[in-house]
Amino acid sequence: MIWWQELKRRAGFVRNRDGFDESLDDEIRFHLESRVEELTGAGMPVRDARWQAQREFGPKLRVHEDSRAAWQFRWLSDLAADLGYAMRALRRNPGFALAAVLSLALGIGANTTIFSLTMEFLFSAPSCRDAASLQYVLLGGNSHSDVKELRFLRDSHAFAGVAGSNLESEANWRNGAHTERIWGASVTDNFFDVAGIPVLFGRPIHRGEQHEVVLNYGFWKGKLGGNPDIVGRRLVLDGDAYTVVGVLPADHRTLVGFGLSPDLYKTVQTPDLPLMLYVRLPKGMSHAEAYGRLQQLAGQRDRMDPQTDFKRTQGLEMRAVAGMDRLRSVSMIPFTAFFGMLMAVVGLVLLIACANVASLLLARAANRQQELAIRQAIGAGRGRIVRQLLAESLLLAGLGTAAGLILSIATTTAMNGIRFPLPVPVRLHIEPDWRLLSYSVALALACALLCGLMPALKATKRDVNTGLKTGERQTGGRARMHRLLVAGQLAVSVLLLTVGFLFLKNLMLATSMNPGFDVHHTVWAYMRLVPEKYTQKARIDEAIRSALQKLRSLPGVLSAATLRIVPFNDQQTNGTDAYLDGSAVARDISYTGNAVGPDYFKTMGIPLLAGREFLPSDTKNAPRVVILNHTLSHELFGEKNAVGHTIRLHTGPPQTVIGVAKDSKYFTMGEKDRPAMYTSYFQSDDAIVNLNFMVRSGLPPASLVKEMSAALGSVDPTAAIEVKPMEKSMALAMLPSQAGAALLGSMGMLALLLASVGLYGVLLYSVSRRLREFGLRMALGAARPAVIKLVLKDTIWMLGGGLAAGLLLAFFATPSLSLFLVPEVGAHDLTAFIFTVGVLAGIAAIASVAPVLRALRVDPAVALRYE
Amino acid sequence: MLSPDMGTPAEIPELLPGTLYLLILRTLKGGALHGYAIAKRIKETSGDSLIVEEGSLYPALNRMLVKGWLTAEWGISENNRKARFYRLTPLGTAELKQQVRQFETTVRAISQVIQTA
Repeated sequence: MIWWQELKRRAGFVRNRDGFDESLDDEIRFHLESRVEELTGAGMPVRDARWQAQREFGPKLRVHEDSRAAWQFRWLSDLAADLGYAMRALRRNPGFALAAVLSLALGIGANTTIFSLTMEFLFSAPSCRDAASLQYVLLGGNSHSDVKELRFLRDSHAFAGVAGSNLESEANWRNGAHTERIWGASVTDNFFDVAGIPVLFGRPIHRGEQHEVVLNYGFWKGKLGGNPDIVGRRLVLDGDAYTVVGVLPADHRTLVGFGLSPDLYKTVQTPDLPLMLYVRLPKGMSHAEAYGRLQQLAGQRDRMDPQTDFKRTQGLEMRAVAGMDRLRSVSMIPFTAFFGMLMAVVGLVLLIACANVASLLLARAANRQQELAIRQAIGAGRGRIVRQLLAESLLLAGLGTAAGLILSIATTTAMNGIRFPLPVPVRLHIEPDWRLLSYSVALALACALLCGLMPALKATKRDVNTGLKTGERQTGGRARMHRLLVAGQLAVSVLLLTVGFLFLKNLMLATSMNPGFDVHHTVWAYMRLVPEKYTQKARIDEAIRSALQKLRSLPGVLSAATLRIVPFNDQQTNGTDAYLDGSAVARDISYTGNAVGPDYFKTMGIPLLAGREFLPSDTKNAPRVVILNHTLSHELFGEKNAVGHTIRLHTGPPQTVIGVAKDSKYFTMGEKDRPAMYTSYFQSDDAIVNLNFMVRSGLPPASLVKEMSAALGSVDPTAAIEVKPMEKSMALAMLPSQAGAALLGSMGMLALLLASVGLYGVLLYSVSRRLREFGLRMALGAARPAVIKLVLKDTIWMLGGGLAAGLLLAFFATPSLSLFLVPEVGAHDLTAFIFTVGVLAGIAAIASVAPVLRALRVDPAVALRYE
Repeated sequence: MLSPDMGTPAEIPELLPGTLYLLILRTLKGGALHGYAIAKRIKETSGDSLIVEEGSLYPALNRMLVKGWLTAEWGISENNRKARFYRLTPLGTAELKQQVRQFETTVRAISQVIQTA
């Protein structure tokens, strides 16, 4: 590491520059005085001796300079000089500088923003101690496991700690007079100890504690006013009092990631709550070793419990909560793919921006042909000039990166403040960090090379002689390079525009698509009862009936129904064996299930193709009844009318089909028609305290929200209530296409903007280069149409080549997008191609008008005078 | 120029390029010296035939400091003045050995060429 020590010594010099000069002065003085002494000792008069010593020593200044140079980096001072020169050159040409910096700023801003997003979603480390040795365990490939499994793993003492958490736990929070529903994480009492999660103040939940909570920073600030004395206060959740013991830092990230931010952490209260299992590996235990142990233990559990089909060893997974290990899981593939695509797209946008700047530099180098030729003629080496031109593009890239970074930090800061319209609270904590900084520096250097190297080499590769003459001669090489640049830009723009258009179309289709039920006149009310108060099903049913009665009596309400699962917000897929009409032959069926009350189909506006709805009389005492959707009816009974037939599921009682409903969408707009079965809400045995009601309104849905909340609140004031128009609650289903359309649509627009500026500039430039030629032609009698043809020929070649290449690219690239698109939008969407080509051709046409006009206005006399 | 008998611009041979480091290193092998003493010692031990210019001595000393062959510290000279003394580091000693070996190889090769040609 000799160079490293040398660097340290040099750095020491930089820190103490003044001291260095002083001590060198002292040293020189000593040298001269010693010499004078020696000379006077030999008998020379003092004055002569002084003069003699000075003369021998030579110029002090040079000794100073040379000594100092020994310590400095030569290339650094050269670079500083080059940058200074470049700065002056740019200041002389502010229009050019602005265009170049702006192009780069947009390209780099887009890149760093997407980079920050990718880092946040895919690579952000959870807030815990030593994330590498904290592993997430999926028994049998299941995301959540039973608490019994956790106990077994814990009691085996194979790991340094085993903890569990469930992020999807709701709770009713009694806040003064009203009750709010909040999202909490339920964790085992050892969770904070095992994971090592830091708190802002207070302390984490400790082992053995039952009714302690740790608050999320946002919840503490937003709902509790950031009260600094919060520790020790009590919160009433689901009717129980909990003590606040601590508050998490503002940038707390859960082990799951994705910006999920539960309002608080509390200990698990119900023994049947499924948990995500986390194990802490003992010091020094490798992943492979730990996985081996886990496999052994899972096998042991499988043998202990042979009745069930559930095999823990099948699809057994164990992965670290952070880093690449997390990304390797199957469920992450769509996310990784999406961000990968985004990075590719913004990379292409930056490429377009670089092409813009490169062609600007190329044009500029042509204008500076004489200056460069003179410098070469008086002896500047080619390398020196290339370096100097590169300094200019480095300066441009540096300025562009700085502006782009500001843009990107402003964007991500705005994103941090967004509350996403999702059922679970999601918050981003994007902070500029060293990763962003080093990425930006790398981008700046790459841009400087991409933009600058080719023009610099082109500009200096010339015979000095021709350059010195008044240069109007367009060298063939540079013109070709220019056209290639523009064609390449066009090709990339075609690709980006096509992608952007596909996503926009996807969004429009997804928004306008009919889910098969009425979203515009329906209001969804969610009501969560405190479980401790409602342990019997009869009490819950009573509350439901009372709620429905109150809802129906509200003015504007046409009908109201209860339902278990709200479409597009939750789903339940069942697979089981079915026996038709008393037959002993089993048929395997898989379907989307839901339990709904009377008037459900009327309220949702789902037409019944045959039979009737559930009635208030379809209770536990009445015969069991079901309603099928068209797909399931067709699957089981073919063309026959299913009404009147019976179905027995697995070991359950036979149920009579009383109706067939039209197909609708159940969870996403993009899903294919799937089989569905509805059972009667009041015939089920489950005692579920999460109630859902759907109301059909004759008034605008938003106007009913308040009264519905009040009506439900009067049923039980301790219940948490949330009412929103169905239209609003479709957000989750729309989010992927909205986010995709917004991000990719804007990238497409950005690419279009950059490419059109580039196209315009290049066309204008190529005409101005040939003004003399046009003048000459016109002087010799060429008609205007002939000149127009000359200008257009260039454009058409560039356009045609670029568009063709772009379409080819898009044709092969777009099929990989099908993962993100609804089936109605094909990857080879003809309208997308037509749209893209149309837009780009239009822009090229507009860009050509100005050059054509300019070519026509050329006064032959003026053009010829240049010679 | 460092010539005590002024007036005779003698035919003093110029230093071979790169040998200045070698001479300084060798001179410092005996112990720490200040710049003036280094120049004087080289002149004396070469029998006045090698002259080190101050204009190149001090920059050379600084370059050698950067390379870590030497260290410098202030002390009191034999004539009771504050002077900067240069001392060989272990790295400098190793460098001296290598440069001596290289120099000898080169000189032997050159003299061989001179004798046979």
